[in-house]
Amino acid sequence: MSSRIRTLERIVEVALTAGVAVSGLLLVAGLLLGSTAPLWWGVLLLIVTPVVRVLVVTVGLILDHDWVFVGVCLFVLGVLLSSVYVSGRL
Amino acid sequence: MIAIPTFILIISGAATGLIGAMLGLGGGVFLVPLLALALGVPIRTAIAASLISVIATASASSTINLERGLVNMRLGMTLEVATTLGGLAGGLLAAALTQRQLFLTFGATLAVMGVVMALRSGRRNVIADMGVEPGRLGGRLQEGDNAYVYRIRRLPLALVASLVAGAISGLLGVGGGIIKVPVLNTFCGIPIRVAAATSAFMIGVTGAASAFLYFGRGDVALHLTAAVAIGALPGSLLGARLSQRVEARSLKIIMAVVLLLVGLRMALEAL
Repeated sequence: MSSRIRTLERIVEVALTAGVAVSGLLLVAGLLLGSTAPLWWGVLLLIVTPVVRVLVVTVGLILDHDWVFVGVCLFVLGVLLSSVYVSGRL
Repeated sequence: MIAIPTFILIISGAATGLIGAMLGLGGGVFLVPLLALALGVPIRTAIAASLISVIATASASSTINLERGLVNMRLGMTLEVATTLGGLAGGLLAAALTQRQLFLTFGATLAVMGVVMALRSGRRNVIADMGVEPGRLGGRLQEGDNAYVYRIRRLPLALVASLVAGAISGLLGVGGGIIKVPVLNTFCGIPIRVAAATSAFMIGVTGAASAFLYFGRGDVALHLTAAVAIGALPGSLLGARLSQRVEARSLKIIMAVVLLLVGLRMALEAL
């Protein structure tokens, strides 16, 4: 495995850990305080964390000039964004 | 809906997250029946809570799998093209199909996958010669002191399975690993640990594609979902760590039994 891929994996790992940790804290705070706002943001952050992960991978692959997989990532991002768009119209 | 004590929801999330992360499934395949059948949660609310719990499980377990070098990111991103499309379609279709048809088809599919997996549990997908080129979507795997190479076979089949897995994820909130892991391992040449880790890596994105729709429709019960997800986070971290200690063949047999049992349970639900 190339060291660049390993570095990208480390960055993705950090992004996922940060997303999971912050959303976990928000959810715990919401349950303990009986407040809806932290629960709402915690759940939303959990859903958004994988989207951020795709963004991080896309940037990493752009820096790696791996254009085929950049295209793949952009397609996946497009599908996710269309899901956000459709959900806003339901 | 009756009020369910928060600690029961947290334990449910932890238990399903643990098993899900061990097998690369996400855990929704256990959580939806548990919430809907045992705890009396309306099925749509159970599916929405499960989808978000599955995202939590997938994200948490992927941090460990990435650290161990088990995730094949290029393969995962390629298959995500199909799973996200399936997830979006499944999330939109969720309101249109009857539960009975869905459960019956899904149950039968799982049972068949379980039998196939059990029959091929002794088969190894790795190549001991490290000089063999793995190709762009293959990779190298370190198991103890031994290093192996694996190559992807039948990519179109992997893409079709991912599309179906994504659609089922969106429809039933189950993540889709229960389809992807057996197909990747049994037919596409991916070692079971890599198949499970790469599936978990994909499940977060697949789940997100349909979770936005459930969120937008107002199907997410915040307190219930938060409690289940809180349990799923530590459960999945533990499950991902435990998976490394279990032998590959044992993982395949556990997976086959799980597929058969859940498949039969779902088929019975439809009858």
